[in-house]
Amino acid sequence: MAVAPTPAERFIQGILPENPVYRQLLGLCPTLAVTNGLKAAMTMAGAVAFVLFCANIVTSMIRHLLKPHLRIVIFTLIIATFVTITDRFLAAYMYDMSKRLGPYIPLIIVNCIIICRCEVCASRQSVFTAGADALGQATGYALALASIASVREILGTGTLFGMQVLPTAWPNWVIMILPPGAFMTLGLLLGAVNWFEQRRSEKANSKRG
Amino acid sequence: MHYLTDIILIALGAALVNNFVLYYFVGICPFIGVSRRIDMAVGMGFAVTFVISIAALLSWTITTFILMPGAPVSKYIAGLFMPAEAAAKVDLTILSYVVYIFAIASSVQFVEMYVRKFYPSLYRSFGVFLPLITTNCAILFACLIIFSQIVGVDNPADAWDLGKSLTLAVFGGIGFTIAITIMAGIREELELCDIPKPLRGAAITLIVASVLAMAFMGFTGVDSGLKKALTPAPVQTEQGAPK
Amino acid sequence: MEPMAPSTLERLKHNYILQAWLVLMLALFFGASLAGVHLKLGPRIEQNKINETRKRIPELILGSAQVEELTKEGKSLIVEPHTVSVEKDGRKVFYTIYEAKYPDGKLAGWVAKSSGQGYADKIELLVGFSPSIETITGIFILDQKETPGLGNKIITVDWRQQFSNIKTVQPIQVTKTGAKDPNQIDAITGATISSRSVTRIVNTTVNDLRGPLTAMAANVKGK
Repeated sequence: MAVAPTPAERFIQGILPENPVYRQLLGLCPTLAVTNGLKAAMTMAGAVAFVLFCANIVTSMIRHLLKPHLRIVIFTLIIATFVTITDRFLAAYMYDMSKRLGPYIPLIIVNCIIICRCEVCASRQSVFTAGADALGQATGYALALASIASVREILGTGTLFGMQVLPTAWPNWVIMILPPGAFMTLGLLLGAVNWFEQRRSEKANSKRG
Repeated sequence: MHYLTDIILIALGAALVNNFVLYYFVGICPFIGVSRRIDMAVGMGFAVTFVISIAALLSWTITTFILMPGAPVSKYIAGLFMPAEAAAKVDLTILSYVVYIFAIASSVQFVEMYVRKFYPSLYRSFGVFLPLITTNCAILFACLIIFSQIVGVDNPADAWDLGKSLTLAVFGGIGFTIAITIMAGIREELELCDIPKPLRGAAITLIVASVLAMAFMGFTGVDSGLKKALTPAPVQTEQGAPK
Repeated sequence: MEPMAPSTLERLKHNYILQAWLVLMLALFFGASLAGVHLKLGPRIEQNKINETRKRIPELILGSAQVEELTKEGKSLIVEPHTVSVEKDGRKVFYTIYEAKYPDGKLAGWVAKSSGQGYADKIELLVGFSPSIETITGIFILDQKETPGLGNKIITVDWRQQFSNIKTVQPIQVTKTGAKDPNQIDAITGATISSRSVTRIVNTTVNDLRGPLTAMAANVKGK
């Protein structure tokens, strides 16, 4: 097997080359649901970052005790606990945002990103690597959410983070904050990222060849 | 009569108006991944519906009888250790997410064993997708809605009973099946089209999904209109009937 | 398959026990931390839920100007929740009523929490009444899922303002062409159904609670 990636590599990979939303297509459910405003999107990104970081660290600490057939159960237990803590924390200190995000915070439990990272990285590498991996993936996720949320919020309500960005004469494209807008934005942005990746790999190939 | 009206509205709402995939965005991963062929899509839809129903049954039972404040089992067990008044307030809902995900995992295990034993050919054709249903957001989402309708209501008389919870689960699954089958039909046709390279695969599926979501938006208001049609006209008072 | 040697069997059993031990330890540890979180944050969350409704009440009954005056004097309304059940079509419907009193015990007004079907989903709102239930002092939308940009406008102060100081003797009517009578309100352009839903909910609440609230008001005066 190839040499395991170093912490720095794990971190950089998570941001764009192995971006959880645009390259791995994981965790799309909350991505579409909470991106109708930048503030909600960033809160969700923060919640996922916290759960991912803690779950990775804890999994990595007990990685030598894990046996194949019970590891999924243990991952699920760890993730569910941290998600409950995050959910209660948000309900206590950011009640309005918690109501707005609603059932999508508990849905972090079944967010494939976290289980995938636990399985691929945290259960095999050291605590430091796992932490770096978590931070990289979380940054990538936040970037992805921010890109989608900015497009939807600016076009849909003319505001960004609640502040008016476009002149009030802009006729709000209400469809952008409704479900069809979510699908359309993600689809078009995904196409754009694919296009960039193709051009990048074509350039790399032509340099090599 | 009221109960039947409520059931019809919940069913319509879950299947069409507030479609799990196209309105609530849950169950997107299989929606994009499995919708290439109609037969696989329908199979996935039915599997998800089956698992949601079992998971909803389990979660309703556990929530009503063990987790919620004042639930019979926890009240009885706590009553052995503390005075009855404090025992009635024991609130185990903090454990609800952990309990739900394990209930879902066991439902999926159970369904997998059942399919492997009684439908081996079906199991061979798409058995690999069955464990993936555990991470399907739609199932946990249905459990969460049921939870909010039991624990989150102001007065206990409005809490959902088993019938309403199962209706939501089954018809949510049916709505998921409808959406994924339509998508599979469209994608089968798309195979013959010349799609630009960056958009192939998930991107074009999402764009088609956006048009589908627009179409389903046409169902908005159907359930409230139906409710008005089914509800008997309000009683007249001395000062004139309210509208 | 050959039968396993006893030592392998023992090792396997030992392994399973070790596995279950790990899961159980983790479960206990996490269960304890969740219990701790619940104990620490639970009261705060309850308080948030109560405040969400309670802090709207003074403004709903008295209007923001009077509330400011009261706060300047260092006083605030005393709010008491009650549950009222009403018989409708053979089944009981429960309403949460908040009774608001001045510090000296005089009745300031009532607020009822009500809900009903809107255009897209359920609308939850608060209706404020004068002490004699003769006037609606205002409404506040707690929860709605109407169309953003159209039905969403029911939460704006401008539109809700129309419900302040309407007499309850006649049901409120919605018109699209400009309200002329004192019990008429303007619908939102492009959101007729949302406007009608809110009006219907308010009218139903008034109808249902007129009797019970008048009785409760008489009780308070009698004290």
